[in-house]
Amino acid sequence: MLDTRYRVEIPGGIKLEAQVVGPIPRFFAFAIDLVIRGILLFVLSLLSIPFGAFGLGGGFFLILLFLIEWFYPVLFEVFNRGQTPGKKVLGISVINDDLTPVTLGTSMVRNLLRTVDFLPLFYLTGLIAMVSNRRFQRLGDMAAGTLVISVRESARAAAVGNIVPLAPATTLLRAEQTSIIEFLHRSKQLSEPRQHELASILDGITHQKHENGVDRLHRIGAWFLGVR
Amino acid sequence: MNLDKIQVSASIRSGWQALDLGFLMARAWWKPLTAASLLPTLPLFIVLLILFPQDPLWAAMIVWWLKPFWERLPLFVASRLLFQESAGTVSSMKSLVLKDSLPWLLWRRFSVQRAFDAPVTVLEGLKGAQRRNRIRVLHGKYSDVALGNQFVCFCFELLLFFGIIILIDFFTPEKMGLELYNSFNELSLVGEWIYTLSAFGAMILVIPFHVMAGFALYLNRRIELEAWDIEISFRNLASRKQNAIQRATGIVSMLLLVGLIGIMHPDPASAAVRHNQESAAELINEVMAGADYGQEKTVRKWRFKEWGEENEENEESSFPQWMIEFLQWWEENVDRGDGLGSAADWLKILLIVVFVGLLLYLLRRYRGPLGSLIGGKAVEAPPQVLFGLDVSPESLPADVPVQVMELWGQGNVREALGLLYRASLSRLIDKHKLAFRASHTEAECAQLVREQGIVSLSEYFTQLTRVWRRLAYGHQQPPLEMVELLCKTWRQELSDEPV
Repeated sequence: MLDTRYRVEIPGGIKLEAQVVGPIPRFFAFAIDLVIRGILLFVLSLLSIPFGAFGLGGGFFLILLFLIEWFYPVLFEVFNRGQTPGKKVLGISVINDDLTPVTLGTSMVRNLLRTVDFLPLFYLTGLIAMVSNRRFQRLGDMAAGTLVISVRESARAAAVGNIVPLAPATTLLRAEQTSIIEFLHRSKQLSEPRQHELASILDGITHQKHENGVDRLHRIGAWFLGVR
Repeated sequence: MNLDKIQVSASIRSGWQALDLGFLMARAWWKPLTAASLLPTLPLFIVLLILFPQDPLWAAMIVWWLKPFWERLPLFVASRLLFQESAGTVSSMKSLVLKDSLPWLLWRRFSVQRAFDAPVTVLEGLKGAQRRNRIRVLHGKYSDVALGNQFVCFCFELLLFFGIIILIDFFTPEKMGLELYNSFNELSLVGEWIYTLSAFGAMILVIPFHVMAGFALYLNRRIELEAWDIEISFRNLASRKQNAIQRATGIVSMLLLVGLIGIMHPDPASAAVRHNQESAAELINEVMAGADYGQEKTVRKWRFKEWGEENEENEESSFPQWMIEFLQWWEENVDRGDGLGSAADWLKILLIVVFVGLLLYLLRRYRGPLGSLIGGKAVEAPPQVLFGLDVSPESLPADVPVQVMELWGQGNVREALGLLYRASLSRLIDKHKLAFRASHTEAECAQLVREQGIVSLSEYFTQLTRVWRRLAYGHQQPPLEMVELLCKTWRQELSDEPV
């Protein structure tokens, strides 16, 4: 089963999940960071001119250029929960592959190895590495043991409306309860016939047909959501 | 379409995550997808190359323009792979590739959502107004993401195109003169061929990823609109309940049967208990040996081969017999921790001896520098040769000034003064214990003499050095009086004999 989900089981049998992120969002995140760095360097170069473009100012500018080029991602990844500004816009984040927060060491390794991923031009090696493994790791990620994951969006607020809840007649597993709740939430996006079609799959449980079946599933869903 | 067989996990994703899923699909099905894009492309490309051998860029251009066609077969193959269906016949594929072709080659060639829209034409077979309506429904909030896919894949294709060219340039000698960085119309023929092949390669490499990302976005939209995930989950629930009912019926009938047997046999329960007691220990051991209990651990370490077996299998071993015997002896003795007798102990002693020997050798070898390091003066042998002059006392004649004047008289000016100078150096080393080193220059030697603090001596030596240097390097001959004076003073300052 192909899936972008990445699972880790931590001691105690607890399973953690994350969605790995592929080249396309990362391309945009990188582009945004590139623009930000470019603007920053441009401003710095203007500021350094009064101090002598080939003297003190120029020297400081070169030092800052070095620091920004190499440590801009490290700084943000370590102190901003794995997110550079570009990654924040795209809602993605760097994390260790055991799903612990990225540390200075791992962030340094993954960002120093950018030079390797950059070869022979503009991250071609990194791109090829990324699409050749199912976790979308570039070489720097592999060396550091890091992943880029999408940051979980906040849970949808449940607006159920005026539905009289109904306790289900049989016990249902957790995944099944979730799917009935999903059905309640997403019914508005589904066409009427499709709603009937879906409800008819469960007419052995609801013992109702058509609108009544849909209605009954909605009421059971509201029950699972805690409406009493 | 059989949702039970779907090969991707049907869950609601954001648009970007759907694109990522598309890349995973492309990775998993890379071979069939690439084959599907090469199948129609490669023959055409080769034919075009044969038609335009002098202008291969035309072939690349035409094939590239027809790209919407080449993306259809991979898309179709993927739609079959998604539900584990067979691909169908070649003729159906041919009609598929040419479906609704004109718009796709003209104005839709530049559609920024091509990969996202293609399934509507290729898989749903819609045209005209129907197609427009369908696409309006599908696009929704995803047209931005579809644009992103198109843009990034375009960039990736460019990247690969130039990457291949630059790699070729890296690995070809400059002397071949490929000149790959000229503008298109100034390229050499070889350069054009490299550009053409690189463009084709980049296109074929990117097609699966681009098409699959668009397809995954389309799938994501359909999963959302048609609630595929809910359908799959509901089907599983229904079949679980169905199985439960069947199981329940089975249990009821079994219970009835057991009841019947129970009427015939008076005490079945106690028989079962006795049986359990008898086999309990065995059963427990069996369970404990299973995979659920205990742990298996893979440990890797080096060990010696079984020599006997080895020899039986392979008589002509490449090792000489004595080495095998030694190793066998070694293996037997190496781990026997009983006092001094074991081989490991002998080895230890051997290593200590070698180490101590090495230490002593190094101390002896570097005693000079080490001595000066500790604080004592370096014990250094006086040099035998300074600036190419032999300064050992044995090389000097008994009466130096006489010999000097004699050489002067014969006209050997350089030899005469050379003798005087080296005799002075020799005496300084011998008599005054001056520590000249082979690395010192004449001026440094004079400086060392001055540091001795004997005014007359240092004045004399400075003057001698000046005269000698003028003669040796400047070829300026000193007057006779000067030489006579130097010889005279030499007797006073440096001679062994009393004046």
